[in-house]
Amino acid sequence: MEGYFIAIAISVLVYLLMASGLALQYGFTGLVNFGHVGFFAIGSYASALLALKGVPVPVSLAAAALLAALAAYPIGIIALRLGGDYLAIVTLGFSEAVRMTLQTEEWLTRGMHGLPGIPRLFAGWVEPRYIDLCILLLLVVVCVAVFFAIHQIIKSPFGRVIEAIRDNEVAVRALGKNPAQFKTRSLMIGAGIAGLAGGLQAHYLTFISPEQYVPLITFYIWIAIVLGGVGSLRGVVMGTVLLVGFLEGSRFLRDIFTGISEVQLASVRIWIIGMALICVVLYRPQGLFGKSAERKH
Amino acid sequence: MRQPYDLSRRGFLISGTAAATLGALQAPVLAQEKVFRLGALNSITGIGGPYGPYMLEAIKIAVNEVNEAGGAAGRKFQLFAEDDQTKPEAAVLAVKKLVEINKVEAVVGIWPSSVGLATMPITNDANVITMNTCGAPEMLTENKKGLAWMFQASNAIFGNAFAEVARQRGFKRPAVMAFNNSTFVGQANYFKNAWESGGGKVEAFVIYEPNQSSYRTELARVLATKPDVISLSAYRPDATIILKEWFQTGQDCKFIMPGWTANEDLVKALGKEATEGLISISNVAADKHEAYKRFAAAFRKVAKREPDIFAAQSYDMVITLALALEAAGPQADVAGVNGKIRSVTGVGGTRVNGFAEGRDLLRKGEKVDYEGASSRLDFGKHGETVPDFGVSDIRDGKLVLKETIPGKLPA
Repeated sequence: MEGYFIAIAISVLVYLLMASGLALQYGFTGLVNFGHVGFFAIGSYASALLALKGVPVPVSLAAAALLAALAAYPIGIIALRLGGDYLAIVTLGFSEAVRMTLQTEEWLTRGMHGLPGIPRLFAGWVEPRYIDLCILLLLVVVCVAVFFAIHQIIKSPFGRVIEAIRDNEVAVRALGKNPAQFKTRSLMIGAGIAGLAGGLQAHYLTFISPEQYVPLITFYIWIAIVLGGVGSLRGVVMGTVLLVGFLEGSRFLRDIFTGISEVQLASVRIWIIGMALICVVLYRPQGLFGKSAERKH
Repeated sequence: MRQPYDLSRRGFLISGTAAATLGALQAPVLAQEKVFRLGALNSITGIGGPYGPYMLEAIKIAVNEVNEAGGAAGRKFQLFAEDDQTKPEAAVLAVKKLVEINKVEAVVGIWPSSVGLATMPITNDANVITMNTCGAPEMLTENKKGLAWMFQASNAIFGNAFAEVARQRGFKRPAVMAFNNSTFVGQANYFKNAWESGGGKVEAFVIYEPNQSSYRTELARVLATKPDVISLSAYRPDATIILKEWFQTGQDCKFIMPGWTANEDLVKALGKEATEGLISISNVAADKHEAYKRFAAAFRKVAKREPDIFAAQSYDMVITLALALEAAGPQADVAGVNGKIRSVTGVGGTRVNGFAEGRDLLRKGEKVDYEGASSRLDFGKHGETVPDFGVSDIRDGKLVLKETIPGKLPA
């Protein structure tokens, strides 16, 4: 019983990590990143491949975050000189390119066969039945640390500049700051966090394949932060918990209403999310927990 | 910024929801008795969408058959179904729910190898029997506890059979085209290995990305090598486009395809002319076995169409499990039931075609050999099936069985 809730909590926290990266990029810097899952995938594969080669898991996780952050650098260089919509296209293209590479470079990634037998986190350190609980605790620690870090970043001078870029890039330019540099850094930090999330998930699932890294994941994250409210860390947390909680919780709907078939529920689930999104945008455009549109400061 | 709304729309929504809820509540509730808790983990949404819902339908047909016959060893099946979205991480959560909350003793209907591989550590830890249609060879090595049963022939066996057919039909210059997923790429690789180990050369080897509106580029690369036959590992949507584009080129060439793609549905989509002479390979069994005929009739009633091979396999999973449960007796635990799976399908017993028939014999103390709706179901040492293959040609829009070749693992 509790094992299942631990599994859901792990799922929520992995999404939450990814969402926090995107919140930094979109919520605070205004970067429309439609390729978040690409960095997640890079992190997953980097950490999994290194660990399979015998590198200790903590080291491979660090490498995953670093590699994902580095992968964001060239995108920053090329794309951040472009306006918001172009960045969306470039990043979406990037994440698809990553997925295609994972599919085709069989010598490295085994292509569509995926990577089975990835070492589990904490394997050999604790009893097998406590591994999931330990992974959960680790994720809680990581999430708290990441949120604290993002909180500090936002309050720092750097944070004020990126928020200014989001609100009025021309004004920032007029003040003699170079927006591209700040945007690149924000993109890299967010990508690094996504990479770390990817690595953690790989060592939890123990099996990954390129089909896991479809753009749908990116858009789930987007739905989560739009629901919760962009530009607010509390909103990110609530949005993610609501979305993943709903996706999983809806499984129990059928235990109550036994007449709904799994086939119908699969569609109903997506319908409800779509409706919720439309309603939020219509009636509460700043998100459930976001600050109101007229910003106070 | 308040949005105007009119009351009638809201009223409609409320009454609609209420009606839906009422309808849902009218479902029958299982009486309290000793049940066997059965999980169905199907790919309802995602890439498996064209197959998963029908697999679930087939599972329900089999569950009803068993329950109407009074259950297995006095235990009725209680079904818990989940969607794995054809994604490993969603499958992990779904299977955890089935195992931990619903306390299922077996999970059937797992379709893609990615889901099979991701869920196996969990089901193994929980001592749960799993039955799947996965074709990845890793399934056999990861099946460490012997709790997993593969109802679909592995890629290796399929690829081998394709090469065997190409050779028997006297083709000299084969080419390979395959959909990029683990099953089909595996199949393509085994075809290449089997052909080349027989001293031939594969003229072109092209793996294509799914979900394209046109496959002209990939097709041109293959056709440029002037192959006399193409081993096309595809699903129906992409096969339809590829064959249409090939037909438009007018180049002479034959195709060898898996039976779940090359069938009457494909003819319906493409017409008789473009599909004339396609070679279709599928598990024998199917239309010859009594079990298939009965299952197909029941399936047509609910689904209004012919069952595909995955649906037939899903049906077999439940019937096999029920027979094993009957053979193991009412007090048996999961390991006991699992231990009987081989004995109710293996050679040496009296051939049976359905649950009730097998149960009656088992109660008399006889041995049975369930001949399934999907294949004769004799499991190898890693839990894999090695079916015989039926080779059919499509002639004038109809599948015509030409010969049968024994399935075998590559040397």
